[in-house]
Amino acid sequence: MSLRRALGLDTRPERYAYAVDPTIGYTARRKIPDRWVRTTCGYCSVGCGMFVGVKEGRAVSVRGDLDHPVNAGMLCPKGLSEHETIHAANRARFPLLRGRDGLERVSWDDAIGTMVRKFREVQASYGPQTVGVISTGQLVTEEFYTLGKLVQLGLGTPNYDGNTTLCMSAAVAGYKRSFGSDGPPGAYDDLERADVIFLIGANIADNHPILWQRLEANPGKTLIVADPRVTKTAMLADLHLPVKPRSDLAMINGLIHIVIARELIDREYIAAHTTGFDALRESVREYTPERVAEITGLSVENLHRTAWLYGNARAAFIGWTMGVNHSTKGTETVNAINNLALITGNIGRSGAAPFSITGQCNAMGTREAGFTSSLPGYRHFASAEDREDLAALWNVPVEQIPTARGLPYPDIIEAILDRRIRALWIIATNPIVSFPNLGVLRQALETVDFLVVQDGFHPTPTSTLAHLVLPAAIWGEKEGTYTNSERRISKVNRAVEPPGEARTDFDIFLDVAAALGCRERLFPGWTTPEDAFEEWKRVSAGRLCDYSGMTYDAIEALGGIQWPYPAGHADAAETRRLYTDGRFQTEDGKARLLPVTWEPFPEQPTSAFPFVLNTGRTVEHWQTRTKTGQVPILDRLSPNAWLEINPRDARTLRLKPFDRVDVVSQRGRIRNLELRMTETVATGQVFVPFHWANANANQVTQSAFDPISREPNYKQCAVRVERTQRGTV
Amino acid sequence: MIALPLLKRATEDGVTFLLTPARAASSTSFTVATALAREATPARMPPRALAPGEQYRFHFDMATCIGCKCCVVACNEQNGNPAAINWRRVGEIEGGWYPRTQRAYLSMGCNQCLEPTCLSGCPVDAYAKDPVTGIVLHSADACIGCQYCTWNCSYGVPQYNPERGVVGKCDMCHGRLALGQTAACVSACPTGAIQIEIVKIAEWRAAASASAPAAGVPAGDQSLSTTRITLPVDLPPNARAVDLLRVAPADPHWPLVAMTVLTQLSVGAFATIWLLQLLGASTRLGVAALTSLAVGALALAASTLHLGRPIYAYRALKMWKRSWLSREVLLFTAFSAVACLYAAALWTGLPGGVLVGALTVALGIGGVTASACIYCVPSRPAWNTPLTLVQFNLTAAMLGPLFAAASGAGNPRWLAIVSATMAGIILVVLTLRFFRLSASDSVELQASARLLSTTLASRLVVRGVLLVVGAIALPLFTADPLIRWVSFATALGGETLGRYLFFISAVPKHMAAPYLGSEAA
Repeated sequence: MSLRRALGLDTRPERYAYAVDPTIGYTARRKIPDRWVRTTCGYCSVGCGMFVGVKEGRAVSVRGDLDHPVNAGMLCPKGLSEHETIHAANRARFPLLRGRDGLERVSWDDAIGTMVRKFREVQASYGPQTVGVISTGQLVTEEFYTLGKLVQLGLGTPNYDGNTTLCMSAAVAGYKRSFGSDGPPGAYDDLERADVIFLIGANIADNHPILWQRLEANPGKTLIVADPRVTKTAMLADLHLPVKPRSDLAMINGLIHIVIARELIDREYIAAHTTGFDALRESVREYTPERVAEITGLSVENLHRTAWLYGNARAAFIGWTMGVNHSTKGTETVNAINNLALITGNIGRSGAAPFSITGQCNAMGTREAGFTSSLPGYRHFASAEDREDLAALWNVPVEQIPTARGLPYPDIIEAILDRRIRALWIIATNPIVSFPNLGVLRQALETVDFLVVQDGFHPTPTSTLAHLVLPAAIWGEKEGTYTNSERRISKVNRAVEPPGEARTDFDIFLDVAAALGCRERLFPGWTTPEDAFEEWKRVSAGRLCDYSGMTYDAIEALGGIQWPYPAGHADAAETRRLYTDGRFQTEDGKARLLPVTWEPFPEQPTSAFPFVLNTGRTVEHWQTRTKTGQVPILDRLSPNAWLEINPRDARTLRLKPFDRVDVVSQRGRIRNLELRMTETVATGQVFVPFHWANANANQVTQSAFDPISREPNYKQCAVRVERTQRGTV
Repeated sequence: MIALPLLKRATEDGVTFLLTPARAASSTSFTVATALAREATPARMPPRALAPGEQYRFHFDMATCIGCKCCVVACNEQNGNPAAINWRRVGEIEGGWYPRTQRAYLSMGCNQCLEPTCLSGCPVDAYAKDPVTGIVLHSADACIGCQYCTWNCSYGVPQYNPERGVVGKCDMCHGRLALGQTAACVSACPTGAIQIEIVKIAEWRAAASASAPAAGVPAGDQSLSTTRITLPVDLPPNARAVDLLRVAPADPHWPLVAMTVLTQLSVGAFATIWLLQLLGASTRLGVAALTSLAVGALALAASTLHLGRPIYAYRALKMWKRSWLSREVLLFTAFSAVACLYAAALWTGLPGGVLVGALTVALGIGGVTASACIYCVPSRPAWNTPLTLVQFNLTAAMLGPLFAAASGAGNPRWLAIVSATMAGIILVVLTLRFFRLSASDSVELQASARLLSTTLASRLVVRGVLLVVGAIALPLFTADPLIRWVSFATALGGETLGRYLFFISAVPKHMAAPYLGSEAA
């Protein structure tokens, strides 16, 4: 403290001065920028339009874009403080290579050279497929498109997947199975137009506050929420269905049973646009209301009421998130949702959609343009026509296009342990906090011969294990496009320069391509993301996710354009839905009704592990807190992890509010959680947020994956709760 | 562009106002006007200008708030405050039984009270209630960082910023209102749960005393909060603030511990000296008086360390007509001055000493009383009792004779009997005080009792032992002059520890807080 401050002569008036900004009016003077850069929020997939305020090369403030069709100027608390992520203290600034004394600074040439040499050595010794790549939902579409080509055609390994498999692969697989293609069919506008909104395993009031705002704008809606927790969304619902954990599939089959029995279905739509109705009807015969009531814990009356409300709705919307997806039955639960929507004709119309609310800001972009679970443009590996189409567009021999997808994320981890994968490239994700069953993952990352972590932040719990750290630019430092949950392409722009020597992921990919010697073959003449965008437009042309009518300028001007937007299409700004004509992406153009069967979740509670653990989020934090943990206000508002337990269970365990507890499963222990006794969880269930590295929920979660989508079953595992022993923390 | 309601009224009525149209006009360009007019959602701003007898207030709709805390983040961004200071905060209230559970959120900035106690207690007149808008404004320039307002507010609204050495508070984004913008929190709320509206002052005043507060909403006190809260219709009967069982010790305020104990010692010592003089004793009175004077000076020096801006300590004299803090400063300053004369009289043996001594003692007791009155504030229920007054004076009455005895003035036996008697009364007061805490219905008093009987229990026991040993056992059962100093020091230690416990065990009244720990109560 200076003497002037100690005496009280200096109250830092400059720092706390106010001034008037021409755009935002009266505000703290140091928050007033020299210029505003229009962009899209980089946290979740809602895709809010915003401006970043830049002053002397630093991002000092943000504001919502009043003209943006998604958020009309509003932002959530993460968005409102997003500029703070850019100048965080733990940004990765220089390439680092592991030497005798740990990670040491090297030049970019050394870094890329070493990486390519190591990868090529591994591939030469053990085969091309022994290099694995795990990417993210955080990059811009242009980067995903570039990375897909680079990995599959340049590096030549099919074992490439994203962390998106951890959050919405069940939705992707479910859509593909039902409709023949990925792609959420609805629009946010449906939230304002539906007369029944049915949210399943989705707490949008906490996790998508801006979508909640859209929903609230619908005065005539009836809101039904199925969730085992009494979330804020559930509290605000007209009807809350407190289902037992992972009984959602039985609930939906039960609702299908009732709507068929009571003739609340659209026979005309079923006949014209679906196949498999008879088999579906047979399959749900055993899901009588009484049996479903027993499985779900819901009353028969509430099942009838829900079926009646949904079946009689003029337009019914089903939204879901991780309650459905984080499950070994996730894909089939999505199919059950699609079944219900299809047989009641609640798809392809205003207000009516089975709608997956996606997670990351550009998970949708990697689904469309990436090269992981599909060929770019929702093309199928198995389709010779699709492969030839792509080979022609790229001017490469068709033999170079893989005929099947490589290993999904969990299988890449398993393959590392089997030594089938020897080198791994991780891009913009933090598996040490986000991947289930930490012990197994840690062993894999410590086993791999060469681990490259490319991230905007270092150290992270994952980057500290790396042999090579590549510092990347993050949101606010690069240009490209994101696709949000409603298939809206929005522009993200560079507001400030990346710190130190950090480069955009796009530039890193081109550098790797150059070192691999494939840059001119795969990316001829490319220097900017727009070059990738122009090629991607051609690749997407004629596909469901058709970008061909878009330009950067048009996207920018409109605050985003929804696909499909083919060249020559008239109205860019109109709200677009998929399957409005009842034609689906299957061979016969009809949607498939798929019989699916409920099963109990894999790890049932026992006397040693009597509680079912549920995991989830809090509004202040994003994923593994790599960013939000660095934002002082968010860290203050939500400083530590906690455990929610019903007061009756807590009393049995002789625990008091604010006690410190451990959560223990067969696989590990989360230490030192703050105990929250609350009636928002049922007896026999407990809840832990998954954001914190120092109280990592994945120390107890299990290696159980959906056989179809490979999405992990994060949501239910058997645990016990113990008082934290002093001295163990 | 919408009308600027507060400027319009100001112009019409021609009253003195704190908003200067010149400032607003000079900085308001056409672009500002259009952009801002678009931003201000009509439903969230009063549609008309204020009429006489009206002021602005916040309306908070608990039924639509989703607890996203956008308001908190937007407020910190608007005012450039560090993360630890939140002029708007969101608390949680929960009730019901699974699955019929309700969790409601309470978002509060400043309540723009009709009779703001932050203002009435401020010793330097740093607060003003804007005659046009009714907004309670605070001037960082005038503030000396005494933090008395942070004790006077039952809602924890003014917050001390150690980086600046001054307090700050929510001013309803007064500067934005002047430009026709709405407050940052109002503007950022995705559900429109926060609004600014007009209140008719007389009607609200009449209704305020009658209305019972909802669970988790702090009971109104004499400050008359203007915030209107719409409660959810289905709030369960057992709904209550979620942080009730989280009790953390408060700031010990070490400079104030030192200041209060030492001023009381000094006053007690002068009172003893004066009584001894009246009774005809004359041994070493001058030495004792000089030493007491030094102690008093030390106490006043310690008090300035509590200020964020010690160099402006003199400003604290300003509001003696209204603020107990000003009165305390005034009385102790006068006490010190007259005590100098008295010490000089004793030293030189000049006549009139007894009269000057009487004045010294009267001013001293006045000062100690003013000190105690500072702590008798509704927002600190643990302090808000006549026992505080009794306790402060007893400290003086117990330490004074011990000090005189140690200095060698007067008959040690009689002095020992006096100090032991006072110590006995202190023990009774302490017991009463603890009984008052634990027997109370008040959440805050129960929490104080819980703190004292758990986290602070060992410190409380030590405090009692020091008192008994220093002020009863040693003086009564030993006669060694050196032991008299030990006895005095032990008793002084006991009182210091006691005062420290007084500060850290005071659980403030506060709005519901979030469950997780780091946010200030």
